[in-house]
Amino acid sequence: MQQKTTGIRPCTLVYLLLMLLTVLTWTVGVMGLNGLTVALLVLGLSLIKGHLIGDYYMGLKLVSGAWRWVIVAWLIIPGVFISAAFYISGGG
Amino acid sequence: MLRQKTPGGDLAIWIFIIAELLVFAIFFATYAFTRANHVEMFNNSQLTLDRNLALLNTLSLITSSYFAVRAVAAMREDKAQQCFNWLIAALLMGLVFLIVKFVEYNHHYSHGINMRTNLFYMFYFSLTFFHFMHVVMGMVILSANAFKTRAGNYTAQNYTGLETGTNYWHMVDIVWIILFPLIYVMR
Repeated sequence: MQQKTTGIRPCTLVYLLLMLLTVLTWTVGVMGLNGLTVALLVLGLSLIKGHLIGDYYMGLKLVSGAWRWVIVAWLIIPGVFISAAFYISGGG
Repeated sequence: MLRQKTPGGDLAIWIFIIAELLVFAIFFATYAFTRANHVEMFNNSQLTLDRNLALLNTLSLITSSYFAVRAVAAMREDKAQQCFNWLIAALLMGLVFLIVKFVEYNHHYSHGINMRTNLFYMFYFSLTFFHFMHVVMGMVILSANAFKTRAGNYTAQNYTGLETGTNYWHMVDIVWIILFPLIYVMR
């Protein structure tokens, strides 16, 4: 049986959003912005990007139960540890 | 809306993906906590990395992932030739990633920077090379998908193998999406 799938149009919009968020992250880097808030903001953007790929590209948006959240659950793990480590070090 | 009980592709690849992601999560956490004890050294070393090349690499992988999505969508409509073309496009973007990474590694080595230079570079080379090898593996899988598409092994009714390969490729993309800000931007 074939899986239900997300349409191309939402995936294309997600692609454009991913490109935009990537350029935004790069801009933060080249502008030399630092500190705990900036670091957590950049990390947050990346977690959102990961979630979008899981939902739209891997099709988890159309899956029920535990599998629906498998990528989100994973993103939370490095998200929490990286945030904690940057909090301890005070960001910059 | 009716929802599927399991994600697309072979279920075994999802077990593999979870295992791979957990390994990367441990690497990321180790990097972050090691950095917490050597903030100045990590921040100074990070400045020597080329963020422009990292941007190019990130855009390449994201684009490649999108092309893989288009390949699956084409096969869903039984357009095998289109699917093949999208897979080749995805592979080419993967190749761009490998070439750019090679240029980066070559630049560092030609300036005498390697894994033994300091803790930051130890993490930089190990993390990015571990990911690099996953890109290579993903490209081998996508190539097999392209070959099977060309051979007529997939149809609109049966393309599980194709979804299995592209899901692995998306996993490689997700890992880089965390790796990019962690190594190149966050300070």
